[in-house]
Amino acid sequence: MKRPTGVAAVGYGATPYYRRGQSPHAERKLLLMAIDEAATMAGIDAAEIDGFVSYGADLEDGPRLTGPLGTKELRWSSLVWGGGGGGSSAAIAQAEAAILSGQAETVVVYRATAESTSGRLSSAVIQGVFGIQYRAHGIDSPAQALGLRTQRILANGVPPSALRAIARASYFHAGNTPHAVGRDVDLTDELYEGSRRIVDPIRLYDSSRENDAAAAIIFTSAERAADLTEKPIHLLASAYGAQGPRWGELDENHEPYTASSQASAARRMWDRTGLGPDDVDAVQLYVNFTGPPVSALVDLGFCTVEDAGEVLTYENLVAPTGALPINTSGGDLAEGFLHGMGNAVEAVRLLRGESYNPVPDAKVCLVSGGPISELSSVSLFGTEPLG
Amino acid sequence: MANERDEVHPFEGRVDFPYWDGLGRDELLVQRCTGCARWSWPADWRCPRCGSYDLGWEPVEPRGVVYSWVRTHLAFVPAYAELVPYVNVLVELPGADGARLMGLFTGPEEGLEVGSVVTGTFQAPSARTLDLSVLTWSLEVAAA
Ligand SMILES: [Zn+2]
Repeated sequence: MKRPTGVAAVGYGATPYYRRGQSPHAERKLLLMAIDEAATMAGIDAAEIDGFVSYGADLEDGPRLTGPLGTKELRWSSLVWGGGGGGSSAAIAQAEAAILSGQAETVVVYRATAESTSGRLSSAVIQGVFGIQYRAHGIDSPAQALGLRTQRILANGVPPSALRAIARASYFHAGNTPHAVGRDVDLTDELYEGSRRIVDPIRLYDSSRENDAAAAIIFTSAERAADLTEKPIHLLASAYGAQGPRWGELDENHEPYTASSQASAARRMWDRTGLGPDDVDAVQLYVNFTGPPVSALVDLGFCTVEDAGEVLTYENLVAPTGALPINTSGGDLAEGFLHGMGNAVEAVRLLRGESYNPVPDAKVCLVSGGPISELSSVSLFGTEPLG
Repeated sequence: MANERDEVHPFEGRVDFPYWDGLGRDELLVQRCTGCARWSWPADWRCPRCGSYDLGWEPVEPRGVVYSWVRTHLAFVPAYAELVPYVNVLVELPGADGARLMGLFTGPEEGLEVGSVVTGTFQAPSARTLDLSVLTWSLEVAAA
């Protein structure tokens, strides 16, 4: 059999973002509904899905889903190992690997979390990461560890206005997105500056908040995608990993301390596609807090530490007029937090012309997964395959 | 609870046991390779530079530079709830090639910033510190 030449997304599905602990459905049911929605969009029977990939602390492995989906043949089931939300686009990379190698044909990438099944997401994602070198001193939350790194980002010269612009652009886009949890918040400079302090230097509006939700994207070969849908969204590249000189689970001793760990993945992505930051029409950034996405944008080549204040302005980051629209659904801060899965869904949604914040003539959208994680990832989507 | 990277039972089997044990004797010990003298932090079983498994421990002065810091306003850690808001520092140890330790900051905060010089104080174990001896850190008082 001929090997596929490319991979494309043929459907996505997402449940509402419920307040954490408030989902009326159990976690697996949420996920099944999201997968069904994606399958309907793709025009396939959900039983045809033969591969399952997730990341982070997801509990819903493939064999848990094959029963209720009536899976005809299970050919792939994998979880990205390490990195928490940094694995969000790595899951897409594993789907790509499965399809291009011929191991599987129709692979769903997903993330599901409901407190009634898997407990607090913030607890699940840090299980085992914050050892006693943290906890003996009262540090046991992502906000505190990312606070340490954000403080250092600011000390390096990134102005606080860059972080504020990321928050304001996210909430602006949420305002146009009916399902966004932050749709009713008009985030002015004053509201942002006056908001509750969580962990200095992180304010309330710098922080994502956990939701109960599930989301899924179905991938298949570009050849089969062309038969299934008039709007296949091509996966131009995906990559994951980390780059040092010292990177990993190192109790805040990694170097460079404020890097996103996406630099090497980004380099491989640009090398593979021949594209660069100038070719990207919108970026869906992982924003657990507003500091890490600044590091991602630096490592991805959209700005430098020195000019971050000039590039990362509210006007520049909002669709349809900004030069660098980010998080067009409101993203992790304001659409809802599903460990970054919503960002990949929005990339596909945007390129299909279905975003509530359309970017005129958008052809290429970048997804950045979980920067400043022990392992991080990127994926690049396009309306056309690479020439 | 899921296993932490260095979890070993009994506790004495952990790779960083000499560190905690040293703090109990008011001594700050940092791991250092016996083969190539590379400082190794966090502690681990193998030297990434020379490949040696022969890693020793050397005393280091509990004095360093604030590499970063945070002030926690919410009770993320129940045992620390009554201290909210409290400050943590990430301290770089010049005496151990820049190894960085986390710790609770105590005392006057005026002047605390990235780059401040801090000194450590050995603290006895408590329920708050998971029954471990720890260092807390304060701004170094400038000589009069
Ligand atoms: Zn060595």
